[in-house]
Amino acid sequence: MENMSGSPTPEEAAAALAGAEASRTSLARRLVVPSFFSISIGTAIAVQIATTAVGVADVGHRGVWNPAGWLMASGLVALAAVATIQLIRFRRLNGLWLGGFASRVVGGTAAAASLSYALTFGAAIWAAFAGAWWLVGLCSVVGGMAYAMSGRRWVRIYRGEPAAHARGESAAWLAAVGVLALAGLVFLMIGR
Amino acid sequence: MTTLTAVSEVEFSTLRDNLNVSDSVLSKHLAALAEIHYINSRKGVHLGRRTTWISLTSTGGKALSEHVAVLRELIAGVE
Repeated sequence: MENMSGSPTPEEAAAALAGAEASRTSLARRLVVPSFFSISIGTAIAVQIATTAVGVADVGHRGVWNPAGWLMASGLVALAAVATIQLIRFRRLNGLWLGGFASRVVGGTAAAASLSYALTFGAAIWAAFAGAWWLVGLCSVVGGMAYAMSGRRWVRIYRGEPAAHARGESAAWLAAVGVLALAGLVFLMIGR
Repeated sequence: MTTLTAVSEVEFSTLRDNLNVSDSVLSKHLAALAEIHYINSRKGVHLGRRTTWISLTSTGGKALSEHVAVLRELIAGVE
């Protein structure tokens, strides 16, 4: 915001707005997504869906600390590790932090990512209980691909309208969703 | 300040390069904006070296919106 003494002329006002907008657009267009970002996030999501579905459907073991429990935990840990590494790489590569990218692309709070995840996760669990392992694999792969594609779509939208999409959800909202997701997982693990 | 609306937080040299200004010019402007609580700046690390991370405050965001609205009114007045 320029510090202007007196009232600017309409031409000066238009030039100031155009300059500011150009600078913002330039920063948004410089944004670089780390290499192998989509494939790593998509694979991590696919692995997490598959391991959780297989673990939940393993009714031969009770409780949490058994092979099925470890399988589910390993999928979650792998996803958390990939997400953390990619966010660190993103920050280092661009010299900036983008809340919208962290929550909507990596955290999957974009509508397409959350909807596709919920659908494929539910379908994978159903398929695992039905013993249709090929369908578990298919749902996991589709879930991972949809999640990754939703992320790519968000980056395109962000570049077109950076101010509207830069900030992600509030920390309180993310914490609430995280607690709910964790509670749901614990419920699935204990209730097997 | 408009540039800061595109990010949650940006590192000093990234902002300097994007605005194509010198370190001293940017430092001076950032200090003035921080003094009136339009931006937050904190010391941090980027690529292994100490640097400053800058973000827009809600006060700054509001002031920017008002400023842009006034400029748009000025432009609209002649159209």
